[in-house]
Amino acid sequence: MLKPQQNQEQGKLKQTIDITSGISFVGIFFCLTIIAITLMSSSFNSPIVKNNYYYAYAATAEEKQQRETNNNNNKNNISLPNLIQQGSPYLGDPSTAPITIVDFSDFQCYLCARYVKATEPIINQTYIQTGKAVLVFKHLPNRGFDSINSSIAAQCANDQGKFWDFHQLLYKNQKPIDSGWVSKENLKKFAAKISGLDMNKYNSCFESQKYKSFVEEDVALASSLGFQDTPSFVIVNSKDGSNPEILKGAHPFASFKAIIDKKLREVEDSSK
Amino acid sequence: MRPTLSLPTFKSKLLSLLFYILPSPIRIVFSSVLYISLAAAITAGFWIIFNVFEQLLFFWPVWVFYLPEDAIISFILTNVSAVLMGLLVSMNVYIIKHFKLQISKSSLFSGTGLSILSSTCISCSSVGFLLISTFEGLGIVVSNFLSIYQIQLRILSIAILLFALYSVHARTKKGCMIEYNNKRRST
Repeated sequence: MLKPQQNQEQGKLKQTIDITSGISFVGIFFCLTIIAITLMSSSFNSPIVKNNYYYAYAATAEEKQQRETNNNNNKNNISLPNLIQQGSPYLGDPSTAPITIVDFSDFQCYLCARYVKATEPIINQTYIQTGKAVLVFKHLPNRGFDSINSSIAAQCANDQGKFWDFHQLLYKNQKPIDSGWVSKENLKKFAAKISGLDMNKYNSCFESQKYKSFVEEDVALASSLGFQDTPSFVIVNSKDGSNPEILKGAHPFASFKAIIDKKLREVEDSSK
Repeated sequence: MRPTLSLPTFKSKLLSLLFYILPSPIRIVFSSVLYISLAAAITAGFWIIFNVFEQLLFFWPVWVFYLPEDAIISFILTNVSAVLMGLLVSMNVYIIKHFKLQISKSSLFSGTGLSILSSTCISCSSVGFLLISTFEGLGIVVSNFLSIYQIQLRILSIAILLFALYSVHARTKKGCMIEYNNKRRST
């Protein structure tokens, strides 16, 4: 027979166990939900279909058809001349650089901001300023409802050769996703801060959504490469876009260095 | 002549003092090398998982760890979570091993599930994308919520882990007392 004091102790113990079991149940439930979501989405293995819709707005049937035709024409062509011809913003000297780094990013993604602040300046200094590589920016605005507008706005800035100023300005002032920091009004305010940018031209470009289909094509290209995360990178030979190496995530400079140095050696060896 | 305290003696005294400052149930569990090793292994495992998801640790194309400025706070919080998980799991293992009949096995996961969720899903952009692609608009809202409140969620998960650790500590203490009383009665 247990004494009353021991009974009380056992009761308290049982109560504690009940509480912790309850918390465990909630935790396990959440984890199982996430595992289920992961398994569900891994069954849809076609990256193009999964990414082809654009959640920020509804694309019409004609737009979809047009997009598919465009995609088929330039599908997987990530050679530097083709990327430049498409109108993608780039940094570096395309006439000398044997390597091209294609960056797929979203202005609202905090990991992209991390890459821009921590890694991109070193890449710029080491490979772009020395003429060894060119950095091309591609839009993958899949982090929030406002992302598409920021991409279109950046492309409009690119029309006047101010893409990289706009790019730096947005990442420097990045706020939580969809908090309104890249609302249409705020994007105009950001644009107004860039010296030398003709606001009339910019406003007309932005209001007409001139680069909506351009951004969609970037998203389709990202899908065809199997990119879902931002930032994602593909590093290729500039000339023909061959020998692609993929980096997913906000990698540090060491990761880029390992791949770029290897590629530079390969290019050097092949030219001998 | 005044007695002098040599450095090794001082160190060992300091270590034993630190050890005796710890609550007795923790002392009991971690007096065994087995549980220290278990805690260390679990802490290391969770440290790797958290930092891979947080994109601070990479295994390809080179093994590299880096700590950019924006990740310092979350890195500290995930380290605390990893250590707490190591302590918690090994103490739960001790309880299951020693007080089999009194402890529900599900309590092993106390707080752990929520902590894993808040520390991995939030920082893992792929899971964020999966949420978006599976649930579209609702997915964006959930993903954004997890991204925006990741620090707060991590603090919450640490609070849950601390509560779980406290309850494990209480159970170990009470389990030991009951076992001691039972032994006394049987003799």
